[in-house]
Formats: sequence, C-alpha cells, structure tokens
Amino acid sequence: MRTTHKIAGIALGAAAMVALGAGPALADGNVSANLRPNAGSGVTGSGTAMVAVTGTTITVTMAATGLLAGSPHAAHIHFGADARHECPTLADDANKDGHLNTSEGAAAYGPIVVSLTKTGDTSPKSGLAIDRFDTAAGGKISYERGSITVTPDVATAISSGKSVVVIHGVDYNKDGKYSGTTKSDLDPSLPTEATDPALCGVLASAPTGGMATGQGGSAAGTNGALVALGGAALLGAAGTGVVAARRRRVEA
Amino acid sequence: MADASRRGGRRGSIAAAAATAVLLVVGVVALVLGLKGHDGPPAPALSAVGAQTPSSGAAQLSPTPRTTPRASATPQPAPRFGAFLGASQPTRIQIGSIGVTSTSIVPLRLAADGTITVPGTADEVGLYENGPTPGQLGPAVLAAHVDSKQGPGVFYRLGSVKAGDVVTVSRADGRTLTYTVDKVATYPKDAFPTDAVYHGSFTQSEIRLVTCGGPFDKVKHYLDNVVVFGHLTRIA
Repeated sequence: MRTTHKIAGIALGAAAMVALGAGPALADGNVSANLRPNAGSGVTGSGTAMVAVTGTTITVTMAATGLLAGSPHAAHIHFGADARHECPTLADDANKDGHLNTSEGAAAYGPIVVSLTKTGDTSPKSGLAIDRFDTAAGGKISYERGSITVTPDVATAISSGKSVVVIHGVDYNKDGKYSGTTKSDLDPSLPTEATDPALCGVLASAPTGGMATGQGGSAAGTNGALVALGGAALLGAAGTGVVAARRRRVEA
Repeated sequence: MADASRRGGRRGSIAAAAATAVLLVVGVVALVLGLKGHDGPPAPALSAVGAQTPSSGAAQLSPTPRTTPRASATPQPAPRFGAFLGASQPTRIQIGSIGVTSTSIVPLRLAADGTITVPGTADEVGLYENGPTPGQLGPAVLAAHVDSKQGPGVFYRLGSVKAGDVVTVSRADGRTLTYTVDKVATYPKDAFPTDAVYHGSFTQSEIRLVTCGGPFDKVKHYLDNVVVFGHLTRIA
C-alpha cells in the first residue's frame, strides 16, 4: 500500500515536472539594441545588435565601429534576474575613478549569460577567451553567429527585453593598445582596459502595433475645413443679408 | 443731415448686399468643394491585407540566404555585411519622386503602453530612437503624418512612392546616404509587420518610411499603415 502511494507520488511528481518543463511557453521573437558608449569609457563608437530567439536557440547579428583597432574585444549578452536590465551609469562607479569596470556594471546588466565568441564554446565560461573574440580590424566589428543554445530562462529573458549586449575593451590613455597599471577586475593578468565595457545596449522588443500617423484632415470623403469655411461664409451671408434688408426697409 | 444719413444708409445697404453676395458665393463654393471632398492620400499598388508576405522583401534584402542546417556545429561562414557607419542623427530627408524634403526631424520614443510615439506636428518626420540611425546596420524607422485635422502632412503622398525610387538622407556628421526603395505596401494596423519594419536585416543599412493610409473610420482613425522599405545603395 505504502509502495503504491510512493509510486503514485513519484508518478505525480514526474507529471508535474513534465508539465513545468512545458510550462512557461518560450516566447520566440526578435530583439535589437543600439550600442552606445558606456558611461566613463571615453569611447566615441557605436553599433547595433539583433538577436533572434527560437526556443532555446539564438542567432546574434552585431556590428560596431569606433573601437580600439586590432585588439580583442570580448562581447557578451548579460542578464541577471535581480539586475536593472539596463546599461550602467556613473552612479555605478563604486570606486569613483571615473570609469566603470565590468563588475561595477553588474548591478545594471547582471552576469554574462552568452559569450559572443567567433568559434567554439559560447557559454559564460568563455567570457574571457580573448583569442576567440573579434579583434576589430579598423575599429570595426561585424559579427553573426547562429545555433547558440541557451537555457530556457535566458531565452525568456532575452526575448522579453531584459538582456544587455556589452562589447568590452577600451583605451583610456589613447596609446593604441590595452595598457595601464590598473589590473582587470576579471583577470589580474590583463590591464583593466582590456575588459572594461566600451559599448552597451539593451536588447529590447520593437514597439507593438502600427503607428497613429494621421488625423483625417485629408482623408477621402468630405473636407472638414472647407465645409466649416462654407458654413461660416453662409452664416455671414445670412447676417449681412439681414443688415441689407433692414437698411432697405428703413429707406422705404 | 437727413439726406446725408439716407445716402450713408444707401451706401451701407449696397455694401451689405455686396458682402452678402460674396459670402454666399464663397460659402456655396466651399461647401460644394468640401462636401465633394477628395480622393484622400494615394495608396500603394501593393496591399498586404490578408495574405502577408512581408518577410519576402526582407529575405530578398538579406545578403546571405540562411540555409545553414540546424545540426551543424561548425561555425557558419561569415556573412557579407553591407557598408555601414557609426551613429549620427539624420538632419534632412528627401524623397524626390513625391517632392518631399524635410529638415524637421524629431525622435520617436517607446511609450509606456509599448507603442511608438508619433511626431507632434504634421510637418515633422520622426526617427525611432531605439533603432539604428540611417547608416548603421539594421532598419532606420522614420515616420510622419499623412495629414493633420487641417490637411495634408509631410508624408501625404508616401503611397505614391514606387520600387526603385530614391530616398536621400543627410546626417549631422556631413554624410549623405542614398537608399533605393525595394517595395511599398499597405498593412492593416492590427496586422502591422513589426519584424519586417523594425528588424528586417541587421547585415545591411535599411530604411523604413511609415505613414497612415487606407479607410478613415468613424472613430477618426486611419485603419492602415503605408510602409516604404529600402536599403542603402550609396554613401557620400
């Protein structure tokens, strides 16, 4: 008896698991971002990114210009359930050095959930796989990669507009390379210039619905303005007509 | 004295009669013209009502057909990206084929209800600020009113634009971009092709011009949107 109950319990539990697994339906969809200079980065570049989500598979198309040329630029999709889902501001500059390192930005965009490497692994483990990121020849990056598998939670976060694209790698001292005495908060063997955020943008959903770009003043059919003018003129005619008639009566 | 007043009265009565005649003519003409009305803004030949194939245009724009098998674990060949520039705000838009030139360009934002805001006046053209600026990869979405309550707006003739027409955009950085129109179509607002308009392809610089069209319903709304799709063909 007890065994039967146990089995029934397990079966029920399994059924619940299956139900949960199929549960929150994954919302397929496309999201896009304008990549803008991260606060305090000294970068003047810009870029765009689009992510297409199909189930737990994503395709990323990203382009940027104005980056430090010929240097590896780590790029990631960030998301944290308790993050603000936005790009950091100088208010996040905990050590008040005027720059934001990757950790200081985390309250805004959360940890790495996808590493936008050119080859191989795309998990957070490859976050600093410097040899597999684009090196921005001429300061430009154009990147497209499909068949990237993410967890259901990450897929949902991305398609609901809560993830953030960050391209790292700055040149504060404008010497044309990653340098300086400040060490990276992520890897002390690298200068902080190599890993600090350069460009940032929230992957947002497009506006919903159509556009209210007309009020009907030229719509097919009657012309309201002309009808109004005609009406006013006729009213005026009635007025002056009465005056004329009265004058005539006075004369007579 | 009485004579003068009578003469003044006669003059007044002639003036009043003349004014009455003029106002009558103006009133009748305006009423006839107003009630006769006009045909409304021009509509594009291509209507996507019902059978929607907005992606066909977008697919055609894509430089590399996406036929990569899903199972493939090998990296996909790098797509051929079109030319692109960094962000810079548009300062002037010209659509020669319909005689439109505008230098009043305002930002369009995402409203709290998830829809896009529209320009405040019928003379302004708006750029969706969360999307690419013209010259960046992806579609730059520009919208303007077809009309106000008073009369035609800056995009009144947008429905007359044809595939092959040229749209010229100048930017704050001094660059001038030439876009070539791929297609012009009308969509019911409740079946707006969001993906084709805002996402299209992010491997080339594209442009979208949006205004209102179609029937004007009793609640004083146009039921359709007219959308012009184009891609970058020249940077100067």
